[in-house]
Amino acid sequence: MKVVACYKWVLDEADLTIDSKSRALLTDRAKNKISEYDRNAIECGVNLVEEAGGEVIALTAGTADAKKSLKDALSRGPVQGVFVKDELMAQADASVTAKVLAAAVRQIEAVDLVICGEGSSDGYSQQVGIRLAQHLGIPVITFVNKVSVENGILRAERKLEEGIEVVEVALPAVLTVLPDINKPRIPSLKQILGASKKPVKEISVADLGLEPAAAEPRVQRTELLGTVMNRKHIRFEGETADLVAQVLEVLNKEGLC
Amino acid sequence: MNFELNEEQQMIQDMVKEFAACNVAPIAAEIDREHRFPAELLPKMAELNLLGVPYPEEFGGADADYVSYVIVLEELARVCASTSVIVSAHTSLGTWPIFEFGTQAQKDKYLNDLTTGKKLAAFALTEPGAGTDAAAGKTTAVLDGDEYVLNGSKIFITNGGFADVYIVTAMTDTTVGTRGISAFIVEKDAPGFSVGEREHKMGIKASSTTPLYFSDCRIPKDALLGKEGKGFKIAMQTLDGGRIGIAAQALGIAQGALDASIKYAKERVQFGKPIAAQQAIQWMIADMATEIDAARFLVYRAAWNKDNGLSYGKEAAMAKLYAAETASRVAGKAIQIHGGYGYTESYPVERAYRDAKITELYEGTSEVQRMVIAGNCLR
Repeated sequence: MKVVACYKWVLDEADLTIDSKSRALLTDRAKNKISEYDRNAIECGVNLVEEAGGEVIALTAGTADAKKSLKDALSRGPVQGVFVKDELMAQADASVTAKVLAAAVRQIEAVDLVICGEGSSDGYSQQVGIRLAQHLGIPVITFVNKVSVENGILRAERKLEEGIEVVEVALPAVLTVLPDINKPRIPSLKQILGASKKPVKEISVADLGLEPAAAEPRVQRTELLGTVMNRKHIRFEGETADLVAQVLEVLNKEGLC
Repeated sequence: MNFELNEEQQMIQDMVKEFAACNVAPIAAEIDREHRFPAELLPKMAELNLLGVPYPEEFGGADADYVSYVIVLEELARVCASTSVIVSAHTSLGTWPIFEFGTQAQKDKYLNDLTTGKKLAAFALTEPGAGTDAAAGKTTAVLDGDEYVLNGSKIFITNGGFADVYIVTAMTDTTVGTRGISAFIVEKDAPGFSVGEREHKMGIKASSTTPLYFSDCRIPKDALLGKEGKGFKIAMQTLDGGRIGIAAQALGIAQGALDASIKYAKERVQFGKPIAAQQAIQWMIADMATEIDAARFLVYRAAWNKDNGLSYGKEAAMAKLYAAETASRVAGKAIQIHGGYGYTESYPVERAYRDAKITELYEGTSEVQRMVIAGNCLR
């Protein structure tokens, strides 16, 4: 089974701070990482091929900076990496990303399964996987938290608000996975050191046969500001029993209990 | 000159940080409080190849460089100094002598099991009357047919009672001083070998430190490591490398204490603002950070020298001396920054303070390091 696990190189949200006056996001001290949910996607792919046989190819699209992600991705089990390296990706929205990834998947050929995180840990638009499937003309299963493959049939459990839905689909297909599908492995030292020996194919958007116009984003971010949480500043006074009753009343009004 | 970690080293650092956060940090305070050796961590570390970091793949090791090894020890020590020294003693003191001085048969017999964590190693040089004066040991080894018979005792042995393999020094000739000391590989079930009660220590309480007793302990003749009379040299060279490990441990203790102090200083509000806004605190943080960075580069330099086949005895001594004394200073300042809370077990800095002190003592006291450095400078 040939699996492509897609991932995005994002800013580490733990390093982000907000300027208290302007509410601007301060990213100068932020390092990058593979998006959390995409680590789940890679792990999912590796688990599936460990059980059913096959290989996982790690695929990412980004600017030159994203090259740093490849060894990390490859240390987690994929046998090779494909990196669509293009400065056009700096402005890419979900529609562009999906188009580019779809073209890359077509170039890889004979892919049985594409796995994405349910959303990236920066934008979390939850669109890329679905758009990608649409471009490839194959089914997509979203919100997956359990999956198995047998005889070319994929069986997935989807965790929805109302409950768990179990679906089956014939491959090829696209999956978008939830973070509780697995706990991504911590790569061992040997896996880390072995990552640099794995092949990486580097291509541009043009190499995929896409015109620059295809990489024009349809959504443009004009501003990114931290949210403000307005404190209610409610003061309670009185004896303990009375205080508890007051607090409960307020919480009830807020619909919190 | 590139002062940055390379990509692999950075990834290794991230990996060990993640492992330490998920598996070690949650139990660090508990194993310290309970004086419990964290045996459950050994298979997990083995799975990540953390018990044979610098050894070649042919012997089951990860074939990583010494800088990477130092990074592993530092990141473990950041959250738990005991776990770090378990790995350091096993890797640098217990496994290295076999790798460096063992016969092919000894390497085949022991190395793969040690580097893959199937067995744990320890190193036994120190005796009740022979600490800094390591040559004053009285444990003897007498050749009797096809066996050596060991008599004597060792003290303060890290991993004692949990190790499967011990590198033990003993006198094969009591008349020629250090040239009469030999080194041996003693397995835990050797007849006449026993382990004493664990020491109750000020710090690194989860690390097992025990005496060892040899009472007509019989080991095969081929348990001799290297040649007779080469044991002191083996021990000193082993300690040179071990020093880099302890320097890394000290570095980690210091860094962990600084991290905790920065976090606390930003959160603790006094006089209407975080104490981080007070210059007294800022200057303490600045001094701690600077000393730690200085220690870091001494440690990395010693490891780099070893990786590049350069001599590293003086450099390792400098690294251990400075990193150990830095760890004690930084841990003390960390408690100061935390105030009264820092004195309680609710915060990790009191453990850092207790753990730091041993780094000035074992694998050669700071005074011994000064002797080594001066000896190098003045020759």
